Amino acid sequence: MLKINNLSKSYNRGAIKAVDHLNLHVKPGEIFGFLGPNGAGKTTTIKMIVGLLNPDEGSIIVNGYDNQKNPIEAKRSIGYVPDTPTVYDRLTGIEYLNFMADVYQVPPNQRKERINYFLEMFDLTDAAEDLIKSYSHGMKQKIALAGALLHNPALWIMDEPMVGLDPKSSHLLKELMRQHCQNGNTVFFSTHILEVAERLCDRIGIIHRGKLIAVGTLDELRGGEQAETLENIFLELTEQ
Amino acid sequence: MSQFISLLKTILNVNFGISALRYRFTKEKSRLWEPVLIGLSIILGGGSVISLYTWFLQGVYKGGQILNSPELVLILALLACQLMVFIFGIFYVISAFYFSNDMDILVPLPLKPYHILASKFLIIVINEYLVTWPMLLPAIIIYGIGMRPGIAYWFKSFFILLFAPGIPLVVVSTFVLILMRVVSIRKSKDLMVVIGSLLGLLLGLTVNYFVQKVPEDNPQQFIQDLIVSRADVIQSIGQRFPPSLWATYGLARQGSEGWMYFTLYCLISLVLFVFLLWLGNLIFYRGLLAEQEVTRRRKRLSTEKINTEVEKASTPVKALFWKEWKLFLRTPVYAMNGLAGMIMVPFLMLMPFIAQEGKIKALLMQARQPNFLMWTTLSGAGLVLFTSSINIVACTSISREGQTFWISKVIPVPAKQQVTAKLLHSMAISCLGILVTTTVLGIVLRLSLLRLFIIFTLCLLGNLLLNALNLLIDLLRPKLEWNDPQEAVKQNLNGLFSILFTFAALAVFAVLTVLLVKAGISEWIIYAVLGLVMGLLTIPSTAALYALAETQYKKIEV
Repeated sequence: MLKINNLSKSYNRGAIKAVDHLNLHVKPGEIFGFLGPNGAGKTTTIKMIVGLLNPDEGSIIVNGYDNQKNPIEAKRSIGYVPDTPTVYDRLTGIEYLNFMADVYQVPPNQRKERINYFLEMFDLTDAAEDLIKSYSHGMKQKIALAGALLHNPALWIMDEPMVGLDPKSSHLLKELMRQHCQNGNTVFFSTHILEVAERLCDRIGIIHRGKLIAVGTLDELRGGEQAETLENIFLELTEQ
Repeated sequence: MSQFISLLKTILNVNFGISALRYRFTKEKSRLWEPVLIGLSIILGGGSVISLYTWFLQGVYKGGQILNSPELVLILALLACQLMVFIFGIFYVISAFYFSNDMDILVPLPLKPYHILASKFLIIVINEYLVTWPMLLPAIIIYGIGMRPGIAYWFKSFFILLFAPGIPLVVVSTFVLILMRVVSIRKSKDLMVVIGSLLGLLLGLTVNYFVQKVPEDNPQQFIQDLIVSRADVIQSIGQRFPPSLWATYGLARQGSEGWMYFTLYCLISLVLFVFLLWLGNLIFYRGLLAEQEVTRRRKRLSTEKINTEVEKASTPVKALFWKEWKLFLRTPVYAMNGLAGMIMVPFLMLMPFIAQEGKIKALLMQARQPNFLMWTTLSGAGLVLFTSSINIVACTSISREGQTFWISKVIPVPAKQQVTAKLLHSMAISCLGILVTTTVLGIVLRLSLLRLFIIFTLCLLGNLLLNALNLLIDLLRPKLEWNDPQEAVKQNLNGLFSILFTFAALAVFAVLTVLLVKAGISEWIIYAVLGLVMGLLTIPSTAALYALAETQYKKIEV
């Protein structure tokens, strides 16, 4: 579903290597957790996958499409939720969702059903006719989540999705992630909350100083030592 | 005190972008030309206004001399400046005290309310100097050179300049502090922008009306006569706002009387400032925190309602076009900047009829003469093209997206289609402008429908060309980093480039027209050639726009 080959990105004319020859393969139907300390290169990698940043070298294949050569097809396969949900705050919630449905070409019947479903699920029905600028941070996060899922993307990408969500919404989101994968889609998300990654992810990748230093299931990362927590593994790997 | 000094230093730094400028001067040397260009434009634009104003004040001074009260020029300048601070200060104070983004950071800090209030107040005072000094300095210099009042006059002038915005701002701030305790205006923030802009428009129209009233022969005599006949009015307004009189007498009167008034003025300014701080310490936070509470409608939507709302599926271009419209109309600063010119110009065109009927009638008679109709049509087209294209819509089209530009980058819509939606939106607004001004032109000049149609078509083609070029400017250098929508339109150099482009295009068309007329080409062929040239020029400019759209959208990283 997502193949990252030899991906690199640097800033300040090569002085800072944000992502350094990263290779990663995320399979269809799995929830992939992308972990790493602050400034490790998580957001930079995600931004390159969704097309917000241009890689210096390497390729990214989404659902069979190279996101540099066939960007529109690749984008159609992705639903992206950024870490800060900055959406058009002078549109109403329903206008925003309708706009997203239009640009992702969601057929009318499907959009009706899905907009109703997400508004209800995220408890936004009451606020749907209000301008987004009157929403709380969590509500903005939820409307951005709904907007990203309307077209039932093959690859759902989120950058720190749990930040700003209340416990109920956070629980709902986790359920939704599982459900999305059960339908044959893939979820790729970055997080700092190791418990969430531990319980939710099929596989985990740890990035440090722009390089992927570990990847695999939790058991594989433990390397046979069952008592090891993800926190211990993370600290051991990133403090080396 | 050290806390306050440190706060003031930081706020000054943020407000005037000192660190940002330093960064630019040391790290981003390639973009050094931008502040230089802005500075030059301010000097050129501001210089011409100030020289006109100085010329007006000289008339006032001469009028005052006839009445044996040369200080009239000082009263008038002080009064006008303090009135200006008073009226526009309301909006400034509300936005600085209650709507600025840094309040969320400042309030939780262990600072006294009056620390924050005082620092914000001083920032406003410094900003007001940009207006009050150009208003006061010419009057002070005219009086100083004319009356030769001695060194004490210049010494006192320095302090009067420093204190000038003080009293009206304290009065306004006190009013705002009390107002915010009683009513919540967060919901009306947008309305305030509209009222502020309308006030600005009204001021512009009033100045224009006055300028129209000034006769062309010996205009300074007219101002002198006006001052002589209306001096009592100025005096009586001054008496209702005594600080202007104190400041004037402080400057103009000799000896101890002058010093007494001067001390009174400075002392009252300081006392009022201390009073404001005392009041602010009591009630500033209460009003501020009440404003943080947001109210919403929270009306539950039924499934049927949602279904009817989402039933209308659109193509991506249509969806993007309507999104542009909604965001444009719902952000007052965009709507006012984009539409104000179109509202104002027809009014400005009607102004001479209200101000001076006789001469204009003769001019109109001439414009309607059959042998003059070609020039009338061409100048009309030039005027309509100018008014409909001087707006910030196309040249800030991408900049206005700001931090939401990530959406444009991730949606599966080719950049060409996104740019098409923006071009269509700019054209829709231009069309509105063309229609309004052409209609007024039709009424005033009584042009035939055919000629109005020609004006409309030429302007439509011209606008397509200019909007494509303006969009291209924004595509090449979008300003996406801003916190307040005002910055996207008012602090965007692309607006200046757009005006330059428009002037250049108008000049080219004017030269072309003159050449065609001189070559003895018939009227209708001239229109056809102009239309053809505009149409032909549109092809490479839109082609360039579309060719660059994909690469630029890809290049802009967010």
